[in-house]
Amino acid sequence: MVYKTKILIADDHQLVIQGLLCSLNEVGDFEVVTTTNCDDAFKLIKASQNTTPFQILFTDLSFDNATEETRLPGGEELIKAIKENGFDLKIGVITAHTETNRVYNIISNLNPNAYLLKSKCNASEIGFAIQKMLQNEYYYTHEIHHKLMRRNIVQIQMDDVAVQILKELPNHPKISNLEGVIIKNDGTKIKLRSIETKLANLRINLNAINNTDLILKAKELGIID
Amino acid sequence: MMKQKRYKKSIFLLFSAFLVCFSLFSQKNAYDKGKDSIIILLKEYSKTKQPQIPQKAFLFAEETKIDSLLKVTYVNFGMKSYFNKDLANLTLTEKRLHKFYIKTKDSSALAKQYYYKSLFFKIQYKIDSTFYYLHKSKNISVQLKDSLEATRRLLSMAAVQFGENDYLGSENSIIEGLRLVEPLDEVFFTGLLYERLGNVLFITERQKEARKKYLKFFELQKRIPNVKIKYEKARLYNNLAKTYEAEGNYVKGIEYYKKCLSIDSLKLNSLYRYEIALGGFSYNNFKLGNNKLALKGYLAVLKSKEKRNHKRGLAALHTLLGEIYASNSETNKAVFHAKKGLQLSKEINLTNRVLENLLRLSKLVKGETGRQHLEAHFVLNDSLFRRERSLKNSFAKVRYETEKKDIENTLLKKENSRKQLALESQRQQKIIAWLLTGVSILFIGFGVSIVSTRKKKLIFKAKMEQIEVREKERQQIAKSLHDEVAGDISMLHLNLAKTNQTTAAKSLDTIKENVRNLSHQLSSESFDKVSFKNQVINLISDFFEVDFRIKTQEIDSVDWRKINNAIKRTLFLAIRESIQNSKKHGQATVINLSFNETKNAVFLTISDNGKGFDSTSKKAGIGLKNMQERIEEINGVFSIESALQKGTKINIEISKSGI
Repeated sequence: MVYKTKILIADDHQLVIQGLLCSLNEVGDFEVVTTTNCDDAFKLIKASQNTTPFQILFTDLSFDNATEETRLPGGEELIKAIKENGFDLKIGVITAHTETNRVYNIISNLNPNAYLLKSKCNASEIGFAIQKMLQNEYYYTHEIHHKLMRRNIVQIQMDDVAVQILKELPNHPKISNLEGVIIKNDGTKIKLRSIETKLANLRINLNAINNTDLILKAKELGIID
Repeated sequence: MMKQKRYKKSIFLLFSAFLVCFSLFSQKNAYDKGKDSIIILLKEYSKTKQPQIPQKAFLFAEETKIDSLLKVTYVNFGMKSYFNKDLANLTLTEKRLHKFYIKTKDSSALAKQYYYKSLFFKIQYKIDSTFYYLHKSKNISVQLKDSLEATRRLLSMAAVQFGENDYLGSENSIIEGLRLVEPLDEVFFTGLLYERLGNVLFITERQKEARKKYLKFFELQKRIPNVKIKYEKARLYNNLAKTYEAEGNYVKGIEYYKKCLSIDSLKLNSLYRYEIALGGFSYNNFKLGNNKLALKGYLAVLKSKEKRNHKRGLAALHTLLGEIYASNSETNKAVFHAKKGLQLSKEINLTNRVLENLLRLSKLVKGETGRQHLEAHFVLNDSLFRRERSLKNSFAKVRYETEKKDIENTLLKKENSRKQLALESQRQQKIIAWLLTGVSILFIGFGVSIVSTRKKKLIFKAKMEQIEVREKERQQIAKSLHDEVAGDISMLHLNLAKTNQTTAAKSLDTIKENVRNLSHQLSSESFDKVSFKNQVINLISDFFEVDFRIKTQEIDSVDWRKINNAIKRTLFLAIRESIQNSKKHGQATVINLSFNETKNAVFLTISDNGKGFDSTSKKAGIGLKNMQERIEEINGVFSIESALQKGTKINIEISKSGI
């Protein structure tokens, strides 16, 4: 017997919940529970652990209805509480927040499986996000993805060592030749191992398949001339 | 490492110790070497009496620059030039000693200088000057507590006074000398003092006491090493015989002179004492009427004295021969010897003998010549008497005046030191007062500064809190704008879209965007959640465009975790405001953010390559004004440099603790 995917939706606006329910109906057959506050959402998740646990949680970040007595006043606190309790479910954020600091905070500190924007999202995107989440992959909506990309580029631009590696890489046939060429701010040389780690990170950050692709991308993005 | 250092240190110590030893040794070596050369020169000088030798020695000693050697050289050559009767070199030595004293302030050199000055006068028979300088030299030695030197001067003084018949003065000097020398347990000079005292007692007719002193002198001499006591015994016998002779006890006198003469090989080894003994023996015999025996003795002595040209002895002997021939009524011989005695006595200023001879001649020679002799005798006797008295007076005067001066000096010194003390204490009081004032001023200053620092800190803290509160308020407004206003607009927008009012929906959409932007502007993330650096990166990435570069420099040079959040917020807002301005108004393509940190402050410089503006014009945008206010609110320093077409540069300095 195949179980339906169990989804919990937490949002303070009923309208949004309705919209989401419609969208979910369009893309598949799910067992959906909804709530308008985080405390209830946490209780529901906790209670479900003994029977059939929720597989996915879609939550907003800000909840207007939070009062002094509310223990979990917003989505961030809810996600933190879930992680702290070690409950195993995929978390998707559906919010209107696009401030880079906020987004960066959520993604780097809470590491949700999906980040969707209310204003831009539609049924097919939600379906795609669910599919990805269930495959244990990440899905960030285009705007957010773009934001993170730009952020990576800026970060690489600010990183002297990374820029040096990217500039020097085409001049050397082997990576091991880079050892001794790349120099830190304080004048010390960087070891091959660190260079390799850095390169790997750069490839991930710039979505490059290999080092040649990395250089091309870096040039394309204006990180190197 | 540490061990090696210690090792090096010990090597260095060893080496320096070696150096010190070496330099000491080499100096000692130079001293010994110099001393040897000086001794050779000294020997040569006393042998050849060449007057240029002392100068040579002085030059040599002065070249070594060793003070001790210099002094020894001066002293030795001074003494030698006195023995050589070399007046020029004695004066030279005295002058060099004076120079030496001026240079080194060594008072013993001054004492020596005065001593040599006195010797200079002694050679010239200038008795009162001799005495004056002896006295001065002695006083310095007394002050220096150099009792031996003082005793030697007193011995000389006593001799001078004795020679000038000031027996009382001589006795005083001797007693003073004995007082000084007795604690030293010294034998040589003590002995000489006792002999001199014996002489004084002998001449002042206190023979019994004189004999005691002579015996004491002999006892002391026994203790001197390397003295042939049998010849000193001769001296004692002569002295004792002399006293008996003076008492008229010629038999006893003869007995002692005989004892003396019987001493083995006396004539060979102590001719002078032999002559005295023989002379005395003869004189006593003469007094007892044994003229023949006396004459024989006299003639033997005369022969001996003539042989060594002892003028003083000869003068006495011719006088005695005159006397004995006169009593034998051999007038011619008597006159011959008396004249000879007179001549010799005059030569060496032996006034007693001059008088005696004059008197004798006046008796022996008849007529006018005899009368002239008698007259000369009286004139001389009178003048002698006056001179003696005046000399005594002058000796006394020298003593009195020096003593008076000494007293005056000590009084002045006391007065001086008292004044100095008073001055010193006054100065000390002043210093203490100043110190107290200084300390209290410092204390007050310290208190004031503590109070003001605390006040400043409190104000700073309050301001920080104020900023946090404002931050929260902004947060609240941002949230309301975002969730309520934007939410409501969204719903309105949905409704409008449903009812196909597209133009209104579009304009509502732009309003919604504006509200959202405003909310974004107002909202902020805590630095505890997202670090300052990451927030700056996020900020830059918000402005990311291909032809708009924002570069940062040294953002890692600041330890941002230790910087107050309010300061970070202020800097963050300043950066955002500046980037917005540069992009919007300045049309810049490159912006540079440069960070720096010192112990007390954080620095940020934001520069761009934009159009710039006339910074002298007072029209500042509201954003810039807000930025400046926010910075100055937390005691930061804000400055902006810009000129048209030259870009803009903003300098921000914020102290970490608000002071």
